[in-house]
Amino acid sequence: MARIRVGRPDVRPDAPSHVRGIREGNEPGGYEKTPGLRPDGTATARRSTGINPGARDPIDPSMPNLPPA
Amino acid sequence: MVQNLSQSAGQETRELVEMSWDPITRIIGNLGIHTKIDFANREVVECRSTSSLFRGYSVFMKGKDPRDAHFITSRICGICGDNHATCSVYAQNMAYGVKMPHLAEWIVNLGEAAEFMFDHTIFQDNLVFVDFCEQMVKETNPSLLHRAENTAAPRSDEHGHRTIADIMRAFNPFTGGMYREALQMSRLTREMFCLMEGRHVHPSTLYPGGVGTVATPQLFSDYLARLLKVLDFVKKAVPMNDDLFDFFYAALPGYEEVGRRRIMLGCWGAFQNPDVVDYTYRNMPEWGRKQFVTPGIIVDGELVTNSLVDINVGIRILLGSSYYDDWENDGEVFVTRDPLGNPIDRRHPWNQTTIPRPQKRDLGEGGKYSWVMSPRWLDPRTGDLLALDTGGGPLARLWSTALNGLVETDLIRATGHSVKITLPKSEGSPEKHLEWHIPKWSNTIERDRARVYFIAYAAAAAFHFVTQAMDEVRAGRTKVFQDFAVPDDAIGCGFHEAVRGVLSHHLVIRDGKIANYHPYPPTPWNASPRDVHGTPGPYEDAVQGLPIFEENGPENFKGIDIMRTVRSFDPCLPCGVHMYLGGGRTLKRLHSPTLGAGA
Repeated sequence: MARIRVGRPDVRPDAPSHVRGIREGNEPGGYEKTPGLRPDGTATARRSTGINPGARDPIDPSMPNLPPA
Repeated sequence: MVQNLSQSAGQETRELVEMSWDPITRIIGNLGIHTKIDFANREVVECRSTSSLFRGYSVFMKGKDPRDAHFITSRICGICGDNHATCSVYAQNMAYGVKMPHLAEWIVNLGEAAEFMFDHTIFQDNLVFVDFCEQMVKETNPSLLHRAENTAAPRSDEHGHRTIADIMRAFNPFTGGMYREALQMSRLTREMFCLMEGRHVHPSTLYPGGVGTVATPQLFSDYLARLLKVLDFVKKAVPMNDDLFDFFYAALPGYEEVGRRRIMLGCWGAFQNPDVVDYTYRNMPEWGRKQFVTPGIIVDGELVTNSLVDINVGIRILLGSSYYDDWENDGEVFVTRDPLGNPIDRRHPWNQTTIPRPQKRDLGEGGKYSWVMSPRWLDPRTGDLLALDTGGGPLARLWSTALNGLVETDLIRATGHSVKITLPKSEGSPEKHLEWHIPKWSNTIERDRARVYFIAYAAAAAFHFVTQAMDEVRAGRTKVFQDFAVPDDAIGCGFHEAVRGVLSHHLVIRDGKIANYHPYPPTPWNASPRDVHGTPGPYEDAVQGLPIFEENGPENFKGIDIMRTVRSFDPCLPCGVHMYLGGGRTLKRLHSPTLGAGA
């Protein structure tokens, strides 16, 4: 590092990183555990709601399942 | 600042006036342009570009969680932060070994296309054209304006302005029609961006492995509805730009020399093709070539390479006029060979150590005067370290895409010598065909002209992306994220295009943390000072030797031709240009070519 005067750091450089024990969004298996996401990359109404999701899936199984945001 | 200098060399005496424009704000740091002008011969003799602000991203990224990299580096820039986020995501994808789902790639491409449309529009119409508008031309070149009043616009049936002066009036700040319409467009295009990446300009839904955007038919319909409105504007803007720039060539013979430099352009490519991209270093040349903007290095009009591995291996970061200590002897070497076995130089970003050394600015010969380093590219054919420029971004992108001739979609076709762009029928205008031809020069006018064509290019590309994304959604494939683990040790590099040109992020991970991180945005390439070998950076090179067409003398000189040249490189929103023309002091500098004679 340069020979320049700097102040005392308030936090360690890696302070915003992961806190042990908390689930990480990127961790392998996260996709499979998320309700409503299927292994083939499609989704069901369960992705959008937990309230009676089966009734909100398309009436014809051949239709694409496009749950709202 | 004005200083009068007399230089006499033998019989020849040159009256040089020192003029400085400092700061030209809101680039990465503060840009200053310091020149020596020979008013008698109407020529800029010498130019130095300086930056007076140190950022230090490469210093404080060390030790952080690599998954934070795109959020932090996005803050490098307040206008193209998303380009940094995207580039960082690309570098992280390589380091983590993760491939994004197709739909996520299309969403990122759509966001980036909206960013190109937004940024180029606001820069071109609200900032660049202030230098070409009626009010400015009246102050700098009154006779040119007189001629513009009497020159019919050749493409008036396409844009509705009768004379060239009418076009100039349309760009008058705050009152001109195009100026105000461009502001509306920048709002629309930012909305398009936010639909895809969550927030402008620091995306909130962009991550390594994919995006957090929830893909629904509504999302893409909203994007498409706005895109169609933008098309009406673009179809008008392109012919207006062509008319105005053609007029400058015709009315001011020799204007092609303004801002002209040797053709040394770099483009790192943009818009990934999800069918091919796997983010592996080994396959990088292949997926790099399949991007919808083809990467390439063009020297003297010839394509030297379009391989991202060649581009990566050839990057060198030189010092010379920068406020840093060299790391050549005591810096840590992180990467000795890339994953293909190519040796990696100590001056490569993977091995760079930033050691700032603040000091007084010295604009004299051999002095240090800038916080910008001097990125160069090693030409393997000649061994030259080339000071590549980006042509403001669009010039290099279109040039490389045209020359490579690899891009072909329903609406875009690269021919080898031009790029053909089709803009579909929109609310207020029929289908329009545009063709951008490789120009004869890399100069101020062509950098500016390419910008408006690239807005059209980005719009046409966005049509392709939105169609592909809709196909994915209609098939029910709504997956937008791929999970991954962070390795303990890895390296990665991301290559992308920021709006104003080449962008690379180089990343080294050790113990799950960032050990080294070096982003190289376009402005270090363009605004670099003289390197250790004395090679001037592109701004300096383009301004040195620039002929002056401004009609004002030294007393009320605005430096419009110099400002047009610097702005043609798109130095990150130079909207805060201040020019100080104080009283100055007169010096006498004598130079005698004969050893021992004279004083």
